Amino acid sequence: MLNYLIRRLAIGAITLLLITFVIYGLIRNMPGTPLTVDMAETDPSKQISPERIKQLKAIYGLDKPWPQAYLHWIGNVAKGDFGRSFSRKRPVVTIIQERIGPTLLLSIPSLIISYLLSIPLGLYCSARDGHTDERVISTILYMLYSFPAFVAALFLQLLFAIHLRWLPLFGMVGDQYEHLSLLGKTWDIFLHALLPVTVFTYGGLAYDARFIRANMQEVLRQDYIRTARAKGLGPVGVIWTHAFRNTLIPLVTLIGLTLPSLLSGSIIIEQIFNWPGMGSQFFVSITERDYPTVMGLTLMFSVLTLAAQLVADMLYAFVDPRVRMDQ
Amino acid sequence: MMACHCRHSRVLLTSTLLTSTLALLMFSGCPKPPDFPSGEAANAVGEGEAEEGFPELEPYDPPTLADLDASAQWKDRPVLNAMDEFRKLKEGVPQLISVEEALKLKNNSEEDNEKILSALGRPAASEKEVNSDAQINRHLFGDIKTTNPLLQSSTSDADVLGLSAIGFFSFDWKLQPFAPSETVVSWQTSKDQLYDKVVIRDDLVWSDGKPITAHDVMFSFQTIMNPKIPIPAVRTGMDKVRWVQAYDDHTFVIFHKDALATNVWNCNFPIIPQHIYENSIPKDLTMTDSDYHQKYEQNPVSGGPYRIVKRVKGQEILLERREDWYLRDGKQVRPKPNFKQVRFRVIEDATTARLALNDGQIDEMELQARQWVEQTNDDAFYARNVKVRGVQWVYYYFGWNMQTPLFKDLRVRQAMSYAVNYDQILKKLNYGLYEQSTGEFPEGNWAAPAVPRKPYVQDLAKAEALLKEAGWTDSDGDGIRDQKINGKTVKFEFAIMCNNEQSRIDICTSLAESLNRLGILCTVKPTEFTVLQQNATDHKYEAMFGGWGTGTDPSTLENLWKTGESRNYGGYSNKRVDELFALGQKEYDQTKRAEYYREIDQILWEDQPYTWLYSRSAFYAFNKKLRGYMFSPRGPYHYSPGFDSVWTVAAP
Repeated sequence: MLNYLIRRLAIGAITLLLITFVIYGLIRNMPGTPLTVDMAETDPSKQISPERIKQLKAIYGLDKPWPQAYLHWIGNVAKGDFGRSFSRKRPVVTIIQERIGPTLLLSIPSLIISYLLSIPLGLYCSARDGHTDERVISTILYMLYSFPAFVAALFLQLLFAIHLRWLPLFGMVGDQYEHLSLLGKTWDIFLHALLPVTVFTYGGLAYDARFIRANMQEVLRQDYIRTARAKGLGPVGVIWTHAFRNTLIPLVTLIGLTLPSLLSGSIIIEQIFNWPGMGSQFFVSITERDYPTVMGLTLMFSVLTLAAQLVADMLYAFVDPRVRMDQ
Repeated sequence: MMACHCRHSRVLLTSTLLTSTLALLMFSGCPKPPDFPSGEAANAVGEGEAEEGFPELEPYDPPTLADLDASAQWKDRPVLNAMDEFRKLKEGVPQLISVEEALKLKNNSEEDNEKILSALGRPAASEKEVNSDAQINRHLFGDIKTTNPLLQSSTSDADVLGLSAIGFFSFDWKLQPFAPSETVVSWQTSKDQLYDKVVIRDDLVWSDGKPITAHDVMFSFQTIMNPKIPIPAVRTGMDKVRWVQAYDDHTFVIFHKDALATNVWNCNFPIIPQHIYENSIPKDLTMTDSDYHQKYEQNPVSGGPYRIVKRVKGQEILLERREDWYLRDGKQVRPKPNFKQVRFRVIEDATTARLALNDGQIDEMELQARQWVEQTNDDAFYARNVKVRGVQWVYYYFGWNMQTPLFKDLRVRQAMSYAVNYDQILKKLNYGLYEQSTGEFPEGNWAAPAVPRKPYVQDLAKAEALLKEAGWTDSDGDGIRDQKINGKTVKFEFAIMCNNEQSRIDICTSLAESLNRLGILCTVKPTEFTVLQQNATDHKYEAMFGGWGTGTDPSTLENLWKTGESRNYGGYSNKRVDELFALGQKEYDQTKRAEYYREIDQILWEDQPYTWLYSRSAFYAFNKKLRGYMFSPRGPYHYSPGFDSVWTVAAP
């Protein structure tokens, strides 16, 4: 087990180096630098002179070839220094920290709701396969899965915020937030989060439910299920005791892969609901060619992805006795 | 020091982001701060790298004020109250319909627009009419990056700091500079144009109660020029100023390096309180990192009419009127700003913003052309709002890279201008909202041609003849024109790059279709804004679609058309044009300057380095409770009085 872990961690570290090296190379070779957008917006009577641009490039470390700049960056990261954002003039770590809370506020409830609903839905659909109610549910799930988030968001905003006036239209907190009690504050955030969480969830929910159903179908065709049925077990007993645990194996992989998306946020939903999450930050940083922020976020997502895969592999051993780490 | 509006000039319009925030860099109203060139970051300063290569401020031993007064032969410059000027202007404009009628009228034509503006765009008849306890919720497309005037970079920063920072210079709707009487007692320029002497009022205080003095001005200048402090963009703009000297608490003199007609636009910089920063800056050169600086970033000490009282990142910035701005010992010494609170709501999504407008959560917003035409005609919009539009000096163009073999030839560029389907672009793709533009200066600009030019119209026969004359024929019968260049057959094919936005892609596609009919293969290449910008700067393109907002002075065009300038994307070069720009800078007589710039404009028109397409209007929605808005060539806010003229009706 320990050997396995050490081996995986070593491979993970090398993968990380490779990912960050490639991404660094890619973003540095995209046309445009952190100065490009600045120069476009600058008052022409006060244009940045070529000498000044040279000086600024030196400040940003853009005068060095990118592999050298990469070494400088990774060296600093090893020392725990992720650099400062070019455009926001603040440490990258602070920028990421500010976004983590709001991002998790959407993604964790969304993930929990999604699984809480999709597992029973998926199981129900498996058990009722071919019946009318299953067909109806499956069709609805299909429709939800293909329904664009920005359209759903608009409908929900119009219905709940404009017509019924039950929920706020946008934002994470209300104008009076700071004057509220702790309970009031929680309630305020809860109300603000309802619509974005809904939009964030329904697509994934549909996907997960169909995923579980498909896996269940696969498992239900196995010999041991036939055996269980043959010995007289009812459908609930078959599905719950014999089939369900086996469908967990692919689900664990899926959950593992979902982990990084907990922090990646969603550009579209964040923009529509004015939610200060990670997705819009990443997007803006790329446009601004804010290399330190882009790299900080890339590193975070890479670490999470690798960690999630490792955890998923270890969970396999838990859900599937056939898998052993030292094998 | 002009903190205000003097600066901003041309703003690149190739992106939606920039178009929406567009020429924002100006400020409205009262004395305000300068808008800044986009900020270069304070990166890496902690490591001391920024110190390298930044020249120190050259030492200067200023003459005594008595010596200066004896030799300067001061000439008075205008010190005005922008609101008084606004009132005078409006007295001469007839009100076409009553306010009640205007509030009911749907804006479906130029005529309707004029009527609505004539009734609602007026100052209050008396103070009683104004609800001075009102709050206004303004819309921002993006959050601010800083509250420190020296570090500001985005247009949102400029909008917010426009209300909270102090400035000693401004300009009106004719883009004429003046010093606002709210902050300045007198402004004089020496006969040789090398010095500007400003006496500021003695009743100005920072929001922490300390007096605002000329020493703050001198301190701000020196902070900007301090090579150890990483604010290079602002500093770059100051290169033409030799020195700023405070002679007493209220008198300072700006020493210019050269006598230029444009000096007034060049000495514009933000003012920060010396007593807050003089000891803290040496300890934290970034002006952001230390706890002390973070404290003032969150709760800045402001010198303008409003102070920032609350800031929720990504959501809102709340400003409150400073009673100590207009009251001194209980006596009113300045006009009272019209709003008790100004809340800037950050809403990045245009649809959400429109819903918020219909819902009364924001009281004003800039509309996109499509929103104006299609999404603001229903009762949901008109229940709470009116919409108005104004001419804006912003034009769009197809730019030809004259360094490519295709567009080096004048005849080819002219052929392009004859090929464009103006009818389709103006009437269909832009909903018939815009006028065709014919050069750099629109009607109303003092450098505009005396007789308006005849715009290009689509004439494919003429285009074909010009192409033939330039040697472009279809020699191999494959349907695409070609020509032998240096012994090699070159086909007439090129890509036109535009920002990745549907309306722009459609306009470029219209061009491509017209050119296909002429046997030219044009591909539309939607490009990410930053890539587009970089390719344009590096001249790595053949043709592009873009736009420019107006500068405050025609001299700002230098940047687009002088040989080798950084925004001269097409590599245009004309000796006479270069010469005329130099002459225009040194000439003080506006009639003569106008002649120089007119000649430049005429040469450009003849050379067609751009195919000028149309000038875009400003579209705005205002809540029905608001009055007093007016459009300048730079929109409703970014001039004086701008936002200061907007007011809310008091309940009857």
